[in-house]
Amino acid sequence: MGQLALQDVKKSFGSTEVIKGVSLDVKDGEFIVFVGPSGCGKSTLLRMIAGLEEVSDGTVFIDGKVVNNLPPVKRGISMVFQSYALYPHMSVYENIAFPLRVAKMSEAEVEERVRKASRILQLDERLKHKPGQLSGGQRQRVAIGRAIVREPSVFLFDEPLSNLDAALRSDMRVELSKLHGSLGATMIYVTHDQIEAMTMADRIVVLDGGVISQVGSPLELYHKPQNLFVAGFIGNPKMNFVEVTCKASAENSVTVTLPDGGEVEVPVKGQANLEGQKMTLGIRPEHIKLGQADAHISVVANVVERLGIHTVSHATVEGANTSFCSLLDGAAPVVVGEAAPVGFNASDCHLFDSTGAALERLVKLEDVDPAMLQVEPA
Amino acid sequence: MIDKYRWWEVVAIYAGIAVFLTFILAPFVEAFVVSMRPLDALFSIPYRFITEEMSFRAYVTMWENVPLLGLYIFNSFLIASSVTVFALLAIIPAAYAFARFKFKGSNTLLAAFLAVNMVSGAVLIIPLFKVMHQLGLLNTYFAMIAPGTAFVIPTGIWLLRSYLLKIPKELEEAAWADGASRMYTLRRVIIPVAMPGIIVVAIATFIVAYAQQFIYALTFNSKNELNPLPVGLFQFFGRQEVVWNELMAASLVGIVPVLVIYIFLQRYIVAGLTAGAVKE
Repeated sequence: MGQLALQDVKKSFGSTEVIKGVSLDVKDGEFIVFVGPSGCGKSTLLRMIAGLEEVSDGTVFIDGKVVNNLPPVKRGISMVFQSYALYPHMSVYENIAFPLRVAKMSEAEVEERVRKASRILQLDERLKHKPGQLSGGQRQRVAIGRAIVREPSVFLFDEPLSNLDAALRSDMRVELSKLHGSLGATMIYVTHDQIEAMTMADRIVVLDGGVISQVGSPLELYHKPQNLFVAGFIGNPKMNFVEVTCKASAENSVTVTLPDGGEVEVPVKGQANLEGQKMTLGIRPEHIKLGQADAHISVVANVVERLGIHTVSHATVEGANTSFCSLLDGAAPVVVGEAAPVGFNASDCHLFDSTGAALERLVKLEDVDPAMLQVEPA
Repeated sequence: MIDKYRWWEVVAIYAGIAVFLTFILAPFVEAFVVSMRPLDALFSIPYRFITEEMSFRAYVTMWENVPLLGLYIFNSFLIASSVTVFALLAIIPAAYAFARFKFKGSNTLLAAFLAVNMVSGAVLIIPLFKVMHQLGLLNTYFAMIAPGTAFVIPTGIWLLRSYLLKIPKELEEAAWADGASRMYTLRRVIIPVAMPGIIVVAIATFIVAYAQQFIYALTFNSKNELNPLPVGLFQFFGRQEVVWNELMAASLVGIVPVLVIYIFLQRYIVAGLTAGAVKE
């Protein structure tokens, strides 16, 4: 079993509060990803779950048991570190066997378990080598091997792929997802890389300054970000934000005025007393199109990046001095320094009130891709 | 690498090194030359580097004139080795604690260790003599080993602590997460990884112990069989004359074990034992 719960967990170092009250329920077998910018407390939170960092306040449950004061091994967790933390003087075999040797298992059982792990991770050929003789990806696999031999109920990964190069990283991503499928164990994974988060997670936990900004499936975060922070954090290139003024608010739509005077009726749940307020309109770069659209905005391109399949245009909104990025066709006729209108559809827009909270969009996530919304783990 | 020195700078650097080496090595050369000379050619004026009838005879006769010479060398070796072993037993756990645990007064303690280093053993020799006398430990190996050990520990802790600080914390955290106790981690992970550092400390300790034993042996020991080499060399000082050539020969032979140990251990002082532990 690998059920985990955090209840108003807090952590302070001296007088600075790093984790300011986090509550979260993780189901058995779920793949949870903590994501957030540097210093948001995601690694600290993971280390608190692991038992490497004391919990200042609140409760951590694993399988319904309070584990606040238990050492890592008694919590039934194992952890993979960003730096691998392999023992350089031991062979790959001994590295993987280390937790079993600590547990004083019989030689036969150690042998059997290490062989099993090395088969899963394709390290059979490497068992006699020292970590120094291995490549980055192999070292990472040894670190994972050391974590799986103990057959814990919860796996914790602290940015395990951030030291690998891009190609290896995408391979390892697939391997980790496979591993999750075959072991069926609960995994908690910390990363600052949103591609890792989006591709591997059942649910993503976005952390910002020591609090949970939003928890949800990858597509939920993409389509229905609850606030400006999540909207800006998920998606690459970043979502564009344009200062607008609310003109009218109805039950199922809010009409806003663009900087250049144009108007858009955004299909979001309206609120009372919005009229006249400053709001933020969010449009993802990939939803920008040239030509026919619900609304247009005039921008001046500063830098144009041609990627072959796409053109990325970094521009400034004319007269508003806010940056504006668009992801267009490979052959899009964008010229640096010239003002040109770009268009977007009202249904693609996000709208945030003056506190940064999103007004709920009227898109049904089921329409997007029902398969991606499975809450139960596969 | 780009050769960033001009030719005259290179010349100056080598000239500097030459002067430095001359100062350090000249006594050794002189000792060697003296050990080769017959006694009556020692004080010839003017000074001549090469004298007639140079031979290795002193290296043979010294064993006959001072029959216990072999034992003195063995004692020197035994005392320095024991000091090294006992010191390491204290240094390793202490350095680990100072490198890893935060506790009240750790900085004060470290500063105190440094301060102790400034007081040389010689200053404390009379009080120490009193202590040894009271405890009835005079004229034992222990009397020469214990104070020596005490004086090398602070330096050792400082040396090893700085090495242990460089070992990534994740290694211990990984072991801790895998269920290993502190002592198990120290034994199975930290000590093997820190081996190059420990060997450096061991060599430094051994050399200091080898050099400092003279004063303790002179004060705390009057049993001839227990004397280390530096005290034993006094046997070459006769009532009428000093047998300089044999004295020098014996000194040089006494240095040999240290040299051998140094050369033997030097190849273990390699960086790169930690290669592959963590990604740099």
